[in-house]
Amino acid sequence: MISLEDIASGSGLFARYGQPADGVRDEAIAPDGSVRPQWSRLIEWMAATGAAGYREAARDLSRLRTESGVAFGPEGTIGDDDEDTLPLMLSSTDWSVLQDGIVQRAELAEAAVADIYTTARTVSSGLVPPGLVYGGPAFAAHCAGWDQPPRQWLHVYEANVARLATGEWVILSERLDTPFGDGWLLANRVATAQALADPFSDIGVRRLASHFTAFQAHLDQLLGWDGRLALLTGGQKDSRFFSHAYFARYIGASLIEPADLTVRDGAAYVKTLDGLKRLDVLLRGVPDVSIDSLHRPELAAFGAPALSLAVRSGSLKIANAIGSAVLTRRALAPFAHRMADHLLGQELALHDAPCLWLGGERAREQVIAERNKWRIEGLTSIGGEVDLPDDEAGLSAVLDRVGERLCAVRLPPLSTAPVFGPKGITPAEWTMRVFACRTPEGWSVAPGGIAAQLDGNREPQALGFGKDVWVLQDRASATAPQITTHLRAQFNSAHLRRTGRDLLSRVADEVFWLGRNAERAEAVLRSLGTCLTRHLEGNQVDADPRVLSALLEIHAPASPGVEAADRYRDLVRRLTRDRQEAGSVPSILANLRSGAQRGRSAISAEGWRHIDRLGSDRRWRSTRLGNHPAALIRLIEDSLQALAAFAGSSQENLTRNFAWRFLELGRRIERGIQISSVIERIANADPAHAETYLRAWLTLSDSNTAYRSRYLMSVEAPPVIDLLVLDETNPRSLAFQVAELERVLSDIPSDIPYRRPEHRQTLALLTELRLADPVQLAETDKSGRRERLAALAERGDSILSEVSTLIARSFFAHSDLPEAVVAQGRMEPKK
Amino acid sequence: MRLSVRHATTYRYEYDAVFSQHLLRLTPEPAGGQKVAQTALSITPQPDSLERHRDMFGNWVHVATLSRPHDGLQIVSEAVVDRQEREAMMFDASAPWEEVRDAALGISTTPQLGLVAPFAFPSAMTAADMAIEAYAKQAIPADTPVLIGAQTLCSRIYRDFAYKPGVTAADTRPVDSFDRKEGVCQDFAHVMLAALRSLRLPARYVSGYLRTVPPEGQPRLEGADASHAWVSVWEPAFGWIDFDPTNDIVPSVDHVSLAHGRDYRDVSPVSGVVIGAGPQTLKVGVDVIVAE
Repeated sequence: MISLEDIASGSGLFARYGQPADGVRDEAIAPDGSVRPQWSRLIEWMAATGAAGYREAARDLSRLRTESGVAFGPEGTIGDDDEDTLPLMLSSTDWSVLQDGIVQRAELAEAAVADIYTTARTVSSGLVPPGLVYGGPAFAAHCAGWDQPPRQWLHVYEANVARLATGEWVILSERLDTPFGDGWLLANRVATAQALADPFSDIGVRRLASHFTAFQAHLDQLLGWDGRLALLTGGQKDSRFFSHAYFARYIGASLIEPADLTVRDGAAYVKTLDGLKRLDVLLRGVPDVSIDSLHRPELAAFGAPALSLAVRSGSLKIANAIGSAVLTRRALAPFAHRMADHLLGQELALHDAPCLWLGGERAREQVIAERNKWRIEGLTSIGGEVDLPDDEAGLSAVLDRVGERLCAVRLPPLSTAPVFGPKGITPAEWTMRVFACRTPEGWSVAPGGIAAQLDGNREPQALGFGKDVWVLQDRASATAPQITTHLRAQFNSAHLRRTGRDLLSRVADEVFWLGRNAERAEAVLRSLGTCLTRHLEGNQVDADPRVLSALLEIHAPASPGVEAADRYRDLVRRLTRDRQEAGSVPSILANLRSGAQRGRSAISAEGWRHIDRLGSDRRWRSTRLGNHPAALIRLIEDSLQALAAFAGSSQENLTRNFAWRFLELGRRIERGIQISSVIERIANADPAHAETYLRAWLTLSDSNTAYRSRYLMSVEAPPVIDLLVLDETNPRSLAFQVAELERVLSDIPSDIPYRRPEHRQTLALLTELRLADPVQLAETDKSGRRERLAALAERGDSILSEVSTLIARSFFAHSDLPEAVVAQGRMEPKK
Repeated sequence: MRLSVRHATTYRYEYDAVFSQHLLRLTPEPAGGQKVAQTALSITPQPDSLERHRDMFGNWVHVATLSRPHDGLQIVSEAVVDRQEREAMMFDASAPWEEVRDAALGISTTPQLGLVAPFAFPSAMTAADMAIEAYAKQAIPADTPVLIGAQTLCSRIYRDFAYKPGVTAADTRPVDSFDRKEGVCQDFAHVMLAALRSLRLPARYVSGYLRTVPPEGQPRLEGADASHAWVSVWEPAFGWIDFDPTNDIVPSVDHVSLAHGRDYRDVSPVSGVVIGAGPQTLKVGVDVIVAE
């Protein structure tokens, strides 16, 4: 047996870890100063590794967390990476008490939700005061009183728990409405087990895999042999997006948003490029008040109209049911004892931290009399957002008005556990989130959790990464065969189920515009680069400000009536700095990045990193940018390189599935439009500068070398036009874009026997280009204008724009049109 | 008296809607003093699906889904109902309001608790503030029989509020219309509900129709009648008793009740979701006539 003195002298990390206070349980140190057995092996390992060794492992863990954030997080990054790295150890006996209590609570919650939405006997019999259920907006009237209610209302259950100083477990808050923090649990475990690999494998920590395998088995039962599973997230802005993305990937569910859902004939469908796909099981990560805009138009801005009807008809199963919000957080706490007794016929095993429901007059009086002792908060997840006046009369009036929606809570002294911080390891009060779900054999609790030190206000913080909770195997489970499914193996099998045609219409839309914006960025960067270089070189002919500003005017309108040199400077300033200017680099890069963020599920992680880095390049925000043309040119070159890297990574890393095709369609259309506008300028150029324009065009198109290797002579119009308009082998020519566009369009399967309108239009343009004669195109009229070339450019521009609209209409129609919620206008009788 | 009701709702969209879905609460139900002889619902264009179920309050709800392009929608609901003359009631004999409140809050017991409890608490559209709370307490002092109190409140709203179409909207909250002291039937019903529920008295929002009788010698104009709204108040022995604060009357043969709920949102006759329609125009016509 080792003692506190031993370890304090051992690694130095524990130097400040004193003897636990009297009457306060410490998780690691027993009252006699000995280290509790469940901690001994971890502490021995720490002593052997030493402070420096541990700090290195801690840094590793932070880095691993950040990396998973980059892969799954909403912004490609996630919270702060200085969350505590030290695991929290629980003995198998501690765990089994908690586990049994949680299973009972999950069963109680299920029974209570089922009762409330069916017979409501708990209310009508007076067991639970009516105001607890009907007093706030969480109650979902449209899900009550169905002839055939769901067989199971809850499939997952999470709770915040704490351990009192006396050692007893208590519930702080139950999460029934929007659970699915499991992604954090898994990611946290993967990172911790990797960074602390030695102690983790040595200690015999219970694994999470078998818990989730059992959940998968439960889902498989719900799904049948070919059912479709999806996880509904609020999207990138949802604070739980990381967990949703991670868990969806782990469990093999498509990650969807409410706008991807529609209900027809009593069944739910996901909108994909391949049409509507029936959905059988939905893991709901969005608050229930925010979905089904048909029944809750005031709250459900997110959409998914009529979703509850798909559940009502029995064709869709939702985990957890719409309406679960009514008992989420604290709503069960005040009457959990009575309900366990009445609904389960059992004594409640796991109690709640003190909680007064303020719908009762006596509770209101008590909380006003003992104002300092209690924290007033919402009873459930919604309806409790009220301002609480400081004065007694004001507070009393507010509590009388909306007391049913509020509760008062108090946190008794808690047990302490070792936490790792800058000062080494110290004892601190802690809480943890536990995760339960259904399995074919009943409820199962994931052996582990995410623990965190309580902050100064003693309020549990929002879920994220935290202390990984390690539950020791008991003797029975240590000898029983462990399911050792490796997390990675599950990822791969989940991945195999994804096929290209399932691409969500919304994502295809995003990817298409991602392609367009990437090209648009490249075009403006190239124009700027060409102009700035020429201006810097100062060649009288090539740097003529009239030519330079004409090239830039493709991207932004010039201010009228100003001298060419000023016009040029103004355009450079606006295109490099002005965020209000739609065609400027900063605003295109911002669009590019936010589009890439929304379409991230369809692009490669590497591709995202290139865009993210480019979009967040601080140099584009620098105010001194304009004063250093050389620095600006370097920045432009760097940015073009990042775009090239993104293009390369999408060519190399994306399978040629639907996502890639839509990216490619967007690119080709945009580049074709950009080339057409350049051609138009050249065709209408002042003949005195014709050659300058042609040279600039060659530079702009990166085609100087190609031209010289072919013609080795001065710049002439017909060969330049041939190379940059008609040559299908030159990736910078208009014909190349149109040919590629036609090829991709013909690869998209069509459900109609003839070619789609966008395909026909593209073919017409391609044929026109193929039949064109460069010498004729180069002909000038009396004023020096190249009329045929101008007409061709104009047609190119208008047909490509039309094709873009047609693509949007055929493929994204359901995704990009806004939803109007209409309420009945009122008839107003004459009085 | 046998009344025949025709309620037509017509939407015109600027662009073709690619999809629309509507909740229709247009089918009257038997209620106190009301029998329903027949109902019919017709929708143009024909919806791809039309489902029907009962909501938790017992109203019939139709869900119409149109998934082919359409530039408008017409919904016509027709019904024939028999209304009985209201019996004279002794509101003095109703229970003191505090007893009714305690029954609704489950403090004292009533076998009807499950039925009345959902209507005792402020909803989003019937939330009160200090002013409405004071108004309620003034109209309903301690120990007042609850139906006398409700009648007083009904009369005061009629007296204190100006009927003025166009100043409020479908989503106007009672605190705002109370402040303005004007509005239409929906606002008056919401104010009355907010006041009653601030005392935790169970009361429902009732949507329906009111037959209007044209002035002597003038023909009745088609579509001149209206969808209407009023309030129903619960008393343990009397059951649900209707009060119409817009007209300061207890509804009788000229009222036809359609649906009831906690507030307008639970019963709005037509509400829905349209994709791609752009701006839209709405026309509603109601006719209530005495059937031969």
